[in-house]
Amino acid sequence: MAEVTLTHVELIGEREWLAVTETCRLCRIDAGALQELAELGVIAPRGKAPAEWEFPAAGLARLRLAGRLMRDLGVNASGAALAVELLEVQRELERRIHALEHLALEPR
Amino acid sequence: MEYRDYYQILGVQRAATADEIKTAYRRLARKYHPDVSKEPNAEARFKEMQEAYEVLKDPEKRAAYDQLGSEWKSGQQFRPPPDWGSGFEFDGAPGGARGARHRRASGRARGGSGAAQEEVFEQEGFSDFFSSLFGGGSPFGAAARHGGRDHHARIDLELEQAFRGAASTLELKRPEMKPDGTLEVRTHTVRVTIPPGVTDGQLIRLAGQGEPAAEGGRSGDLYLEAHILPHRLYQLDGRDVTLTLPVAPWEAALGAGVTVPTLGGPVEMQIPAGAQSGQKLRLRGRGLPGQPPGDEYVQLKVVLPPANSAEAKALYAEMRSKLDFNPRADLKG
Repeated sequence: MAEVTLTHVELIGEREWLAVTETCRLCRIDAGALQELAELGVIAPRGKAPAEWEFPAAGLARLRLAGRLMRDLGVNASGAALAVELLEVQRELERRIHALEHLALEPR
Repeated sequence: MEYRDYYQILGVQRAATADEIKTAYRRLARKYHPDVSKEPNAEARFKEMQEAYEVLKDPEKRAAYDQLGSEWKSGQQFRPPPDWGSGFEFDGAPGGARGARHRRASGRARGGSGAAQEEVFEQEGFSDFFSSLFGGGSPFGAAARHGGRDHHARIDLELEQAFRGAASTLELKRPEMKPDGTLEVRTHTVRVTIPPGVTDGQLIRLAGQGEPAAEGGRSGDLYLEAHILPHRLYQLDGRDVTLTLPVAPWEAALGAGVTVPTLGGPVEMQIPAGAQSGQKLRLRGRGLPGQPPGDEYVQLKVVLPPANSAEAKALYAEMRSKLDFNPRADLKG
């Protein structure tokens, strides 16, 4: 079995700003979908015109989630944006319930 | 390798129309998509469906798959027939895929050291059955490209691994042509060191570990999306962690020095006098490493000692008689 030990592993930093092409590559969406998702508020770009936009790496996770939902479930950008928001609300509520359970229930 | 019944996986008849297959896939994908599903084994089920749909939605692949015959059952031992793919015309330059140098890095990852578990998604996680019949290296695989495509996978990490960094082992499966012209799925092992401070959903790039390119081209990259598993003690929010700390009533009332677990090891912390259950105290910089590092929030939980001895009961009785305390004062109209 061939074996390789990698020495170079790169974290896509949370404070980086990414160009349109790089963002599309990382999220596996095309530029049209990216623009639509940005206009729907899934990610907040900086720059005046769409061609000059840059995207925060910190927002990649929700953009990738939107991309997966569009690709795998066949929903459009509006549906994906709505689903991303609802899933985030769901996760936040689950987090709070978990925290309250920790506080309220008897110790193990 | 084991045969896979793609019609059974999607729950359709062998004579199903393209629209029926698409509808069945969409319905099941909605139920089992790992991002939205709470079903057990949703990820594995979804992967199976994706694989089945990848074949059945493509008339050429479906026709070739159908030629294997309908006698096969899921799980039966299977070898691709020697004339696999013959009689089909391919777009582009499929012959290029028969070159030994074209090795598609499709992979399923396995846990590395410790409890790390990784699971590759998208086409990279498809079965050996799929890889042999339809993956790169097969007549149906794409011809080698000048620039290899990126591959995307997911890596699950324990919170401690995200804090300290982790060594993990990925197994990438690559169909390769043997000298006798038959295909073999070979495993390529890659060891990676994940640096400390990875957050949930963060991307990790392994340059050049995606799809190999045609000679002279540049291989694609492999992207790992980090998922941090739930922890017994800590709740994670970005780089911050929250710990629920049980304290005795007198520690909360009078203040106390206590030892508190953190990801980096136990630290001493002072509980202020008059603390209440639910109150949060912050240990700055004790969350996940980063610029800036996260904090640890310690949420106090006052735990009452049981009145299970004469002495304990006497103490509670003394409090009742001596303390002017009505916990329901706010309920009075």
